[in-house]
Amino acid sequence: MKDEFANPFLQATKDVFRQMLGLEIERGETVLIENIIVGNEVNVMIGVVGELTGTVTYSFSKFTALEMVKSMAGMDINELDIFATSALGEVGNIVSGNAVRYLENANCHCDIVPPQIILSENKSISFTNPKSLLITVKTKIEDFTINIALKEKATIPA
Amino acid sequence: MWKESYRIGIELIDTQHQELFQRITDFLKVIKGQGKWEQKIDRVKETSSFMQSYVVKHFSDEEVYQKKINYPNCEGHHQLHEEFKAEVSKYAEKLVESGYNEDVAQEFAGKLMTWLIYHVAKEDQEIGKYVRLGEKTDER
Repeated sequence: MKDEFANPFLQATKDVFRQMLGLEIERGETVLIENIIVGNEVNVMIGVVGELTGTVTYSFSKFTALEMVKSMAGMDINELDIFATSALGEVGNIVSGNAVRYLENANCHCDIVPPQIILSENKSISFTNPKSLLITVKTKIEDFTINIALKEKATIPA
Repeated sequence: MWKESYRIGIELIDTQHQELFQRITDFLKVIKGQGKWEQKIDRVKETSSFMQSYVVKHFSDEEVYQKKINYPNCEGHHQLHEEFKAEVSKYAEKLVESGYNEDVAQEFAGKLMTWLIYHVAKEDQEIGKYVRLGEKTDER
């Protein structure tokens, strides 16, 4: 699992969060984890296909997720209903779409598939996965994580 | 919903953006407010129809303006407008097919809000930057 796969996703998160939410982010610690993807109460999972395949999962506490939706809607949103999860999924989609464009600029051709939103009552949701990078992202609201589980498509020797 | 940071500094476009944001705010207030869903359907129909026509008008005005100022990314921006219009039409159809189902309307509202913010806060800001750069160059 290469750290260089993480940079386009972090840069895209930084750009989109600043533009859409007026929220600055900072990269925190990165750990390589095996066998599981650690999640949180609200998980936006995006599939990646192409030269890189796998998933990228943005995981937020319910509090942070609601703060993000409130910031966009400009009104009190207290429930993770279809409106809120639809908006969060779209933010994940936009961030990942931007990341894929950055990858494209680096000559790595990928595409994304529509987001899946996984809600969990507790913070210990986990999905089986061989290896991934768990990146802590610091914000003035609360930290959240981006889990990058991507691998390079195997090339067939000529 | 409207924030001053969304302003691009071109009056015609900013006024139309504010109108779009206001309509979505009103739409959110309706679908998030008290009352039975059946009583809200007329407003959902009205918003869906308004969005389809106003988005076309606004994008067309914006594109005319871009051509007038020789904006370099006219074609790329036009493509983004076409995608936005296609998504709005897709949801308008979904709403009709579902008999104006509440879940579909909530999903549409979440996406519409996010698309509009992204388009205005990111893509349209580039037009403002281009105009300001031109003004600076003219001053020299």
